[in-house]
Amino acid sequence: MLPSLREDYLEAILLYTSRHPVPPSCQDIATAQHLPEPDVSAHLAELAAAGDLTVSATGAVVLSETGRETGQRVIKKHETLQCFLTEILGMDSSFASNEACRIEHAVSDETIGRLGNYLRPSGIQVGTPGNLSENAVYHSSCITNDPKGISLTLADCEEGDRVVVRAISGRSCAKRLLDLGVVPGQQVSIKRKLSNRSLVVQVKSCDVALSPEIASAIFVERG
Amino acid sequence: MKIALLGNPGVGKSLIFNQLTGLGVEVNKYPGSTVTLECGNVCYKKEKIELIDLPGVYSLDGNSEEEVLVRRFLEKKGADIIIAVLDATKLERNLYLLAQVAEYSQPMIAIVNRIDDAEGEGQVVDTGRLAEIIGIDVLPTAASLGKNIDRILPLALSSAREPVLFIPYDHHVEAATRTLEKTMGTPRYKNLLALQEEGDELALRDAALSISREIEQRHRMSVSQIIATNRHNFARTVAEEVVKKSPEKRQFDLDRVLTRSFPGIPLLCLILFSLLLAVFVIGSAMEALIVQTFTAYIINPFMTLALPPLFQKLGFSVLVALEAGLGIAFPFVFTFYVGLSILEDTGYMTRAAFLADRAMHRIGLHGEALIPMVIGFGCTVPAVLSLRLLKTRREQTIAAFLITMVPCSARTVVIAGIVAAFVGIFWAFSIYLVVFVLIIITAVVISRMTPGDQFGMIVEMSPLKMPRARFVLQKSWLRIKEFLFIAMPLLIVTSIALGLFQYFGLIDVFQQAVAPITVSLLGLPAYASTALLFGIFRKELAFETLAVLAGTADLGSVMTSVQLYTFALVSVLFIPCISTIAVLYRQMGAKVTILASVYTVFLGMMIGVLINILMK
Repeated sequence: MLPSLREDYLEAILLYTSRHPVPPSCQDIATAQHLPEPDVSAHLAELAAAGDLTVSATGAVVLSETGRETGQRVIKKHETLQCFLTEILGMDSSFASNEACRIEHAVSDETIGRLGNYLRPSGIQVGTPGNLSENAVYHSSCITNDPKGISLTLADCEEGDRVVVRAISGRSCAKRLLDLGVVPGQQVSIKRKLSNRSLVVQVKSCDVALSPEIASAIFVERG
Repeated sequence: MKIALLGNPGVGKSLIFNQLTGLGVEVNKYPGSTVTLECGNVCYKKEKIELIDLPGVYSLDGNSEEEVLVRRFLEKKGADIIIAVLDATKLERNLYLLAQVAEYSQPMIAIVNRIDDAEGEGQVVDTGRLAEIIGIDVLPTAASLGKNIDRILPLALSSAREPVLFIPYDHHVEAATRTLEKTMGTPRYKNLLALQEEGDELALRDAALSISREIEQRHRMSVSQIIATNRHNFARTVAEEVVKKSPEKRQFDLDRVLTRSFPGIPLLCLILFSLLLAVFVIGSAMEALIVQTFTAYIINPFMTLALPPLFQKLGFSVLVALEAGLGIAFPFVFTFYVGLSILEDTGYMTRAAFLADRAMHRIGLHGEALIPMVIGFGCTVPAVLSLRLLKTRREQTIAAFLITMVPCSARTVVIAGIVAAFVGIFWAFSIYLVVFVLIIITAVVISRMTPGDQFGMIVEMSPLKMPRARFVLQKSWLRIKEFLFIAMPLLIVTSIALGLFQYFGLIDVFQQAVAPITVSLLGLPAYASTALLFGIFRKELAFETLAVLAGTADLGSVMTSVQLYTFALVSVLFIPCISTIAVLYRQMGAKVTILASVYTVFLGMMIGVLINILMK
């Protein structure tokens, strides 16, 4: 199976799952994707063998942890790209969606991260529902359409959260943070949070204690 | 031949240094800074090698005193060979620094230390592969076990060479360094520094400024962020290749107890309180012993020599200074340093800083300021020196005021000798309580008045481990040496000066001049003013002088409890000692020094007068 096809499937199943109370069956996916059911069934078997999902006895398709992660990543890429193409380059939204569907399989996480950073200061929120084309492989809206998610800082996170640093505001204080490895794109997990929002975070296998005012200058995204 | 050890803080650099040099270490002040460099000599194959322990840094691009010092050291080729010490348990973060050091293209080797701990965590470092990637020899060591330490110097001398590693920076940054190289003729590492608005060459920084602004516009990120990200990415790639991780063994994490508000904070209070109590008890007992022995076997025989009065006075002053120095240094300061070193070596200090962060915010500081304050209980001088841990002038100013008020070992002697001995142990603790309340009030007031921005705490938590007696003692010994180095000469000089004052009768003149204040406002005997004055030279001298002037060691028979209490409290608060004033002036400048001195005098007098009025 082509990697791009796998990603498309995981993306579509994740979107379906997030919008419907019950997991999709093979038939639901086939209908939503306008594909012949036998093909879909064969593909799902292949994905199940690869450990991306499981098909229960009742026929419900449930994503595994890795399948879900991949799906989320692809959705984020799609949204970021589409946002960039429509809002910055001014392309037609249905064309942009098709274009995003193709680029999303090739583009790296690094590029998407930076594109997200680029879009953020211009006040554009990645993940705003756009007029997505019906022709797209799936009907994209925003799984991560959480307006708080955009301005989420480390100080807002809870103990046990794993997040990815997106941006650090403020100039003078940032240097020590950078040296300790708190840089855009870095994964950070919160080990301890006190009631005053002082934090201990784990970054690059080192524990770092941060004051609340420092933590609230670090913008993060749930990974 | 000069060899320098360089690395992150807490990688075991000092431990390696101590093992290589033994205890024959001289501490050198680097010109124009308060950061100390430890140097030691080693003899290897009949060649003298000077070993330098550079202060631990996370990066070479920052503007903290340590970072600037290490950077200038490298720029001036301060050593013939650099030994980069890496921590195997945090290899990725350590490679970030190594990547920067490599840009200076100097002969070096790398040591991957703490391999024993890394293996305990299920990590194996392929040092052979690492050596291939970075192009220099890499030696795995375990300093706490002494493993491979003997191989460090032979390897450094035989095969140190310039590393070959190249970090691919963002292409705009690369273009900018090339432009600067062409126009200014400066090497790559200097250009990278200038683009981050650091470095000593102002012309280069000016030239770099417009370019870096442009890059920042384009990336919407500061150049420092871009460069740091590139370096971290490089470090990650290397670390992924050389570190083999097996699934981590789940161990009980002590931090689950130590860093929670409960029981963490009560535990912190308990630990600090027991430290002070231990110093108080052990110190008093040991001091009595030392002073008795010294008096019986040295001072008394000296007095029986019956020298001419002036010489006798001078000799006596020197001996008294030595006695007082030893009487403070070993019982109180050394005991305190042992306790402090244990707290540091276990890694508890950083947890204490984290827990104290909230309380410290209330007084305009943050967690990191706890460390100078705790050191202040031992001696104010090193506490003032450690103020540079704090990053802004505002924090340093606030902390400087508070440190001068924290009861140091010498003040503990006053409290123990006067109040605990003649009034009662609970009253002695009440003095601590009064001082703490005053510290908090002062802190709240000056944090409102001091201009500047608040900056928070960014502290790496050191890993928890069992302290080892030998290393704790070694560290305490180095510290006490520094204390004696600063304090002893001042003690002797001031003691001689005071002896001469007494000899020529100037003391009486002073005593009569300030008698109205001492007697009517503070309600103390006239001679107490002289004792307080002597306290400026050394705090514990206030107590000793009082005993001499009162003509008896049994102070309870000549002064009332209220008088003794007032005297102790006033002398504890009253003006920092002369050594403190000297370091405060060097560290913080004249303004803060004068303000802090005047303030403490005012505060001491006010409290004294207040007690006098209330108790009448």
